Order: sequence, then C-alpha cells, then structure tokens
Amino acid sequence: MRQDSETAVGMRGIKKSFDGLSANNNIDFDLKRGEIHALLGENGAGKTTLMNILSGMYHPDEGEIFVKGKKVKIGSPHESLQLGIGMVYQHLTLVPTLTVLENILLGTNRKFLLPGKDAEGKVREISEKFGIEVDPKAEVWQLSAGEQERVEILKLFYRGSDVLILDEPTSVLTPVEVEGFFSVLKRMAEAGKSVIFITHKIEEAISVCRRVTVLRNGEKCGEVDLGDIDMGREALRLKERVVKMMFGETPPAKAVKQKPRKVSERTILTFDCVTAKNDRGVPALKDVSFSVIEGEVFGIAGVDGNGQKELAEVVSGQRKVDSGRIFLVDTDITNMPVRFNNDMGIFYVTDDRIEEGSVANFTVAENAIFRCYRDEPFARRKILLNMEQIKSYSEELIESYSIKAPGADTPVKTLSGGNIQKLVLAREFSQKAALLVCNKPTHGLDEMTVRYIRERIRRQSDRGVSVLLISSDLDELQEVCGRIGVLYRGEMIKILPGEGAAVGQIGRLMMGIID
Amino acid sequence: MGAEKIVRAAAGPVIAISVAVSLGGILLLIIGFNPFRTYYELFSLGMGTYLGVTESLKRMAPLLIMSAGLIIAFRSGIWNIGGNGQFLIGAVLAGGIAPLLMDRLPLFLFFAVLGCAGFIGGAAWVTIPAVLKAKYEINEIIVTLMMDFIAIYLTAYLVRYPLNAQPGLFPQTVLIPIEKRLPNIPLTEVHIGLIVGLIAVVFAHYLIKITTLGYEIRFSGESRKAALYAGVNIRKVVVIAMLLSGGFAGLAGANDVMGIKGAFQAEWNPGYAYSVIPLVFLSRLNGIAVIPLAYFFSFLSIGGEFMSRAAEVPVFFVQVIEALMLIFFGVSEQIRKRGGFSWGS
Amino acid sequence: MGILRLLFSEPFFVVLLGGTLTASTPIILAAAGEDFVESGGVLNLGLEGMLLLGSFCAFIAALLTENIYLGLLAGMAAGVIVGLVFGYLVISLKVNQIVAGLGIEIFVVGLTSLLHRVLFGNTFPVVSEITSKTAVPFFSSLPYVSSIFNQHLVTYISWALLPIAWWVLYRTNFGLNVRAVGENPAAADAHGVNVYRTRYIALIFEGVLAGLGGAFLSICDLAFFVFHMTQGRGFIAIAIVMLAKRNPANLFYWAFLFGICHSLTFGLQILGLDVPREFILMLPYVAVIVLLCFLARNTRLPGAFCTPYERE
Repeated sequence: MRQDSETAVGMRGIKKSFDGLSANNNIDFDLKRGEIHALLGENGAGKTTLMNILSGMYHPDEGEIFVKGKKVKIGSPHESLQLGIGMVYQHLTLVPTLTVLENILLGTNRKFLLPGKDAEGKVREISEKFGIEVDPKAEVWQLSAGEQERVEILKLFYRGSDVLILDEPTSVLTPVEVEGFFSVLKRMAEAGKSVIFITHKIEEAISVCRRVTVLRNGEKCGEVDLGDIDMGREALRLKERVVKMMFGETPPAKAVKQKPRKVSERTILTFDCVTAKNDRGVPALKDVSFSVIEGEVFGIAGVDGNGQKELAEVVSGQRKVDSGRIFLVDTDITNMPVRFNNDMGIFYVTDDRIEEGSVANFTVAENAIFRCYRDEPFARRKILLNMEQIKSYSEELIESYSIKAPGADTPVKTLSGGNIQKLVLAREFSQKAALLVCNKPTHGLDEMTVRYIRERIRRQSDRGVSVLLISSDLDELQEVCGRIGVLYRGEMIKILPGEGAAVGQIGRLMMGIID
Repeated sequence: MGAEKIVRAAAGPVIAISVAVSLGGILLLIIGFNPFRTYYELFSLGMGTYLGVTESLKRMAPLLIMSAGLIIAFRSGIWNIGGNGQFLIGAVLAGGIAPLLMDRLPLFLFFAVLGCAGFIGGAAWVTIPAVLKAKYEINEIIVTLMMDFIAIYLTAYLVRYPLNAQPGLFPQTVLIPIEKRLPNIPLTEVHIGLIVGLIAVVFAHYLIKITTLGYEIRFSGESRKAALYAGVNIRKVVVIAMLLSGGFAGLAGANDVMGIKGAFQAEWNPGYAYSVIPLVFLSRLNGIAVIPLAYFFSFLSIGGEFMSRAAEVPVFFVQVIEALMLIFFGVSEQIRKRGGFSWGS
Repeated sequence: MGILRLLFSEPFFVVLLGGTLTASTPIILAAAGEDFVESGGVLNLGLEGMLLLGSFCAFIAALLTENIYLGLLAGMAAGVIVGLVFGYLVISLKVNQIVAGLGIEIFVVGLTSLLHRVLFGNTFPVVSEITSKTAVPFFSSLPYVSSIFNQHLVTYISWALLPIAWWVLYRTNFGLNVRAVGENPAAADAHGVNVYRTRYIALIFEGVLAGLGGAFLSICDLAFFVFHMTQGRGFIAIAIVMLAKRNPANLFYWAFLFGICHSLTFGLQILGLDVPREFILMLPYVAVIVLLCFLARNTRLPGAFCTPYERE
C-alpha cells in the first residue's frame, strides 16, 4: 500500500443545515493521495450533503476546505472541477440524447469548435489506461446503467480530476460489474488518483477501501484505518466496531416478526405471462407469471429499474401490456383503465409521492379524495362536491393516520415528505380494497413512520386484503411478507417463501445469480 | 375568503397594474404627451361621465363572457389563444341567422337562439384544436392562433358575399332594428349582456370550485401525472374545457351583435382576447375577482377610445398598458413564489 | 387545360417562384432562430414581437437615413432588444415562458401601432429606396429558374444561414452546450456549462435573425409599415420548427410551402381563377394546421422544454 502522506483534500468543521434541520454538524474529513476512502453511513446520515459541499453543489454554513494543503472556497461545480475534484452523483448527470463523446466533451472546451479526432483519441487512451470500456460514438440512452457510470468516470478523468467522489456507485451494478468496478478503482489509486466512496454497505466499504469514515445523523462517529489489519482474524471485530459507529450502541431492535395469517386459499391476483414495455419502448416485463392469495402480503424484490414500477402500473391500470393476461379473482382486468380497477378494489400507493401520488398545490382534503370524489357522499349525484363531507373525511384520515398537518385545508406542499406519504397511504388504504399495490412505501422515511406503515400493512392483511409490496429493502420484505418474488431484468426469476429465506439468497437473486 | 387572504392575493395584481401604469406614463412622456393629463382624461372620460360609465358597463359584457371561458381553459392547463377568432365566428353566425328569425320568434326566444348559435359557433371553431390536442398532443397555442387568422378571413368573406345585406355599400349583415336588440337593464342604458356576463363568470367560478368536473379540470391543470394516476380521463376533460371556452367566446360575439352593433360589419375585430388574457391572469383565474378587474379594463378601453377620438393619444396605448400588466403580473408571481414578499405568514 | 398551360408558362412560373422565395425569407430566418432557442429548451412566443419590432425599427431607420443597410441593422438591433428583455423575464426572473412570450407579443403589436399612429397619423409613408434584388450573373438569365438567382441579398443570406445554423448546433462547443441545456440543464450545469448565459446567447442569436427577417419584410419586400404586418408569421415559424424535427433542411421546405401559399394570392388572380381573395389568404394558416395534423403527432420535445432552470 502506498505510504504517501500528502493530503489531497481536507475538510474542517463543516456545518450545513436545511430549513433548520442540521445535515452536517461539525465534520472533519481528510483524504490522502492515492487512497480509496469510504464514507459510510445509513440513509440520511449526511454523506451526500458533505460531498456535495466538496463538489461545489452546496455551500457550507461554516467550516473550511483545503485542497493540496491550500485553503479554498468552492462556489460551484465548475470551480470544484477546476480544483481537480469530480463527483459522480447517484442520479447520473448524462444527457441521454447526446453521444458518449459529446457528454465527455460537454463543458470542457473554451474554444468555439468541437475538437475532432484528438478528443476521441484521448478518450480511448484513458479508457485503456484504466480498463474502462465504452464506445465513444454510442448515444447514452442506449447504454446500461453500469456503462453510463463508466462514462461519468471517464468524463472526470478527461477533465484531469485527481479526486473522485463516487456516490453509491454500486447501487446500479450487477455483481459481475461490481468486481470489475473494484479492480478499476484499485488501478486508479495506483495511478495516483484519490477516491471517496460513499456507501451504506459495510461489506463493500471494508473490502475495497483503505480507510472508513462513519457518519451518523449528520455527525462523524469515527474513523477506521484498515491499513495493516489482517482481514481474516480481525474482520468480525472490525465489522462490529463499524456497525456500532453507524447505529449507535445497539443496532435497532428488529421488530417482532408476525406471520400474517392467511384468511383463505382464494387466489386474488393472477399474472399470466405478462409482457410490457417501459416509457422508452424497451421491454420491462417479460413473461411474468405469479399469483397472490387473499390476505397475503406478497413481496417483490429487486434492484431498482428491473421492472417493478411497470409491474405496479400494469396492475393499477396506468400501463398497457403487450401480451399476457391479468386477473382479479375471475375477472380479466388486463388493460382496463384505472377507474375500472379502482371499482374492482385495486388501489396503488405509488413510489412517487410528490409528482404522482399528490398534487402540491391542492389541499389535504383535495388530495384525500383522488379515489372517491365521484361517489356518494362526497359528490351529490356525481356532479356537485359535498365540501363538508370531504372535509370531515380528510380530518378523519389526518386523525387516524397521525398525519402532521394543521388542517384539511392546508396545501400539501407545506407537508413533510413523510406526512405526504402517510396521506397517500391513508387515502389508498381506507378504500374498499381487495388488493393494495405498494411501491417502496417506506422509502426515505424516518424509523417511526416506517414502523407505522409496516404495521398498517399487516393490519390490512389481517383484514383479508392482499398486498403486493414492492421494495428494495430486504429487511422489510423479510419482516412483512409471506412470499417474496424476485424481479430481475423484467423476469420473475424465483418465488421464495418468506419464512426461512436468507437475505443473502434474496440479494444474490436480485443480482441475477440463481443458485 | 378572509380579508388577509384577499389582500395577499391582490397584492401582486395591484403592484403589476401600478408598475404598468407608471411605465405607460414614462412611454407617454417619451412620445411627447403629458402623462398626467392623459391619465386624467382617461379616467375622467371613462369614469367621470355618465356616457363613460354606461359604455364601460356595456363593454364589460363581452369581457366577462370571454373571461368565463378562458378561466375554465387556463385552469385545465390549456392555452386557448384564439379567442378573437371564436368571437368572430359566433358573431357572424348570430348576425347571419338574425334576419331569418327576427320576425318569426318572440323576442326572448330570438335572443336565446342567437346566443346558442354564437356559443355553438365558437365551440365548433375550437373543435379542431381540441381534438388535435387531445388525440395527438399537438400544441394548442399554435393551432388556436392559426384558426384565429382563418376566422378573420372566413368571416370577412362571409360578410362580403353570402351574408351581405347591402351590396355596393360597406358590407354588413342585415341590421337588427333597435327594438329587436338586447333590451336594457331597467333604469339604465346598459343592455342585459352585462347580466349574462356576470352569470357566465359566476357560473365558471362555481363550476371550477364545487363540481366534480371542476375538480378534474383543476387536477389536469395542476398535475397531469397525478391526474392520470387518479384515473381522471384527461382527454375528455381537456376537450370539454376547450369547448366551453370556445363557446363562451362565441357567445360574447353574439352578445356584441345583439346588444351593441346590431349586425356583423366587415373589418370589425375588437380583439378582446388581447385584453381578456391579461385580465384573467391578473384575477388569478378567479371568477369573482374577474368582475372588478373587468370593469377596470373596460373603462380603460372605453376611456382610451374616447381619448383617441378627441385626437389625443391613440387607442393602442391601452393595449400596451394591458400587455405590460400581464408581463409584470408574471414577474410579481415569481417574486411571490420565491418568498420575496412575506406577509407575516 | 388552359390553366395548366398558363401555370407552367414561363412568366407566371418565374413570378410565382420569385414571390415564393421572397415570402419565405422572413420565415426561414425566424424559424432558424427559434429552432436554436428551442433546442436550448426555451419556447419564445414573443417571436412574432421580435419580427414586428424588427419591421418597425427597420422601417423608421430606413425612412430617416434613406439607407437600407442601416435599416436592416436597426431591425436586427430591435430583435436583439426583444430577445434580451424576454431572456431577462424567463431566464433570470423565471417568469412562465408562455405568459412572458404572449405579453411581449401583445405589447409589441400595441406599441408599434401606437408609435406609427403618433408619428404618421393616418398616413402610411413609404421608404423611397428599396433594395433592389441582386442578380447572380449568368444564372439569372436562365429560363424558368431565373427568379431563384434574382433575389435580395438577405434572401441569399437566409439560405446560407440554415446550414450554418446546423453546423453551429452540431459541430461547435456552443451548439453542444445549447443542446445539453435543452435536454438536461442540471447535468449541463454540473458539467460547468453556464445555463443562463447559453440561453441568453441563443436568444440574442434569434433576435438578430428574427429582427433581420422582420426588417426584410418592411423594407425589402414591401416598402412601408402596416399594423401587425407580420400577421402571424412568428407563430407559423414556431409551427415550422415543430414540424422540422431539428433538421434545418426541413425548415426550408416548410418555409417554401408557406411562401407558395402566400404568393398564390396574386398568382391565382393572374390565372383568372375566381377564388375569393380571403380563401387564398387563409391558405398558409390552413396549411400549417394540416401539416401539424400529419407530421407533428407526439413529437419529442427536448427534455427541459419550457421550464426555467434554477440551481438549488
């Protein structure tokens, strides 16, 4: 391992808050030259915020930044790039309709004309040096997520970045790609580049990084130097140390797992060889077949982007299938409109609570009646809205789902994300449902709300309502579901019984590895 | 609506109007007129005289009727910019049918039929843009504008040949005699078109506010994605909203023919849409708020006309100020959104 | 039969072709500019205002100085001013682009009519020296196609501008920036592209072109200014941009089609066909709708079309 003591980047006393909530509280962080340094923490710990400050997207409220020993002020991503710091964000920032080469060249050239052959040559040179394979002439929308990520890295090298910040880079990679990715990282470090690796996965942090800095709730809880540790013996103790840092003294107690009782053996939902495309026209579901029993909580596991959203939309009625059939008990609901499905008892908690699940400028009451505004008693003779009924109904929902809102007349845009999600849930769950489709219902929410929602799901199941729970949180799936189906590249590759399914096995299936 | 809420909502439009009027004053100065005298004349001719007030109230009618339609359209997220064309089609239809029914129907029925004809004409004129938008997502701004120009030429042709009641002289349809035009509101010299206008705008307001269709209209306008998620039939809603807005514009045309002009004359194009678009924005697409603002706009334009006839500032000046009001309203909305003004929230 | 022979007779054909090319010139210029701006994600409904102000200022300048080139320059300057104002409204103040565009259009229509009435009352002065057409030697004596080579300088410039505009958009850094900004301004920003400045420059470019187009209309094509003389050409240009699907060659064809519709106004009269004037005048607008019907279904607009950009 390199013993270079030169510090590439230093951050001292960084503080940053948003709307009064502290995201980074007095954090010190440093990165040595040629080092791969992990920034580890749970979702919401403040890792991305800290790195956004380093990359110039955010300005710190307090604190100092040093690059190569000199104190600097980073006012914009552009300035950060000029200092040699480049960040690959979680949401890739490529322009889909442009080619790889055009994306790499974007913003690099002060001259009027686009550099022609030399640029292409330089790009190929860099690709070879670091073992990153990609075709410069391809248009970005045609590439896979893993390839797009490689383009992002190439981009930064083309600009001469010495410090790379990678935000959850493995979240879109298959296991094979992850291996290749780690070896690229090691080559980068050997060539003198420094890498900051943001992740919430302990295993990865430990396996490829030299040092690990742990953040929790906006504060730095510790730093571990893996330099001379013999990985074999010390590994377990090391992991425990890190886990303690991430979660505090004791990791959160896992909620007591209750097995939902099946009410009957009646099949509620049947998928028969369903094939459907996504918005880009690319096949998203391929010959998917499975069935859900009355009162069952059926989980759908998978890495984001493997067809989950399309699956949900095909059930809700928002998307048409290319072939195959979908049945609700005995009724064919294939390609039926949303309204029809609602009448049949299918409701959908969308993962997009801001753009799809709610209307920001509408009041809580107006959001609450998405599904029932034409029915009695909310509408007299289907034409006139009954304002009092609507108001009292919304107030009931606010009450029974503990939604923190001043009243039924408050515009939803003033509510926090968690409360908006509760509102969406409240609305869908309080309909006369036979099947509830929930897409990532607890995503990005705090611990208490998450438990609350899982409890509500259990209650629905107890009442005989079937739940189709789509989630990328394996713990959640294990805790709540009866059976778990795994979606990989649009195919339902295996259905596991919830009881006894090892997290490891589900994880591998999600990556496409069938044991 | 609480008083505080009204003040907060009105702040933007009031500021926009003030800035526009001030800029207009500066413009007057530049082109060599005395702004104070001009505005004084405008106000006094428009509001200070009995004739001014009466004419302003009469002018309110088409503005209100068209506003009703545009509020519905804009709320649903549809930009119907071709109101002038729809107005003309409705007017020419009313003017053309009038001679056929003038002596055959009791007065009340006569008005009702002509009004319907105007409404249907305007709605028919907006069908093509509506269908193209609903089925193919074709930009309705362009299509309604194209239809606007087509309407100008079509009605010009109609009044010149088939419907011309006085060939050889200035073309126009058969003149409806005064006794068969819209009667005045008792005790005033303002015809009942004003009542129709008020009803229209109140109707639009409550349609949007308390009906299921209104809810769907607002839904489609606020968030298409969420509306699809909730199962709203956006295509249907959009088509209905457009037909209503075209219909109202046509009705306004029939109103002007029946109440003021008595006939459709060649080269007549009052261009109300250029005033109604700023008007409905300034009133924040609220049917009740439109009423006082419509009076303001109508007295501006009447005062402007009187002023231009007195060989002072040309009447186009009013259009300039109204456009400035629209622009500055847009600016004030942005400032409001960014929290530039906080009214002690 | 006689009509067909007349139609393809040399004098008629020459006049029609010449008239078409002249009429299509402002549209080509306006559309080229708008295509650029729309690739950058901005919809400029005030384009009609740009053209009209260009017409007016060019007319006034030409009238005052009796110099056509100063007139053209004035027109371009007017277009740039409108572009900057519109840009300030929608880029810096982030006002809704449709509201701002319509506001500017209504404003310019009113302002130019106002100023013309104030300056000239009810008379319509004429510019004394119109630019004469520039004849390309040899080619302009060819039969049938002579009128192609006997056009104003501005018309030739407009033809050259289409490939130039394409080249700038696809072969230069600036063009790349424009396209990136139109698709994904956040990404462009993260790459160090100045989103605001890029859009401003695109609008200035459009202002120059549209101003020139408007100037051409009032001092090269006709020789006077009439209220709202652009008669919707700006919106037709916007429609053409929607039809052309980012390929400048297509812009030319549709502009040419518009030109044909326009010059048929006198063309059909020469043929002695008894079609009411009004229906011919309607043709360009009907043509636009028909074309949109068939060719603009579900067009793919740039990802960030019509939305203002704001960095967190």
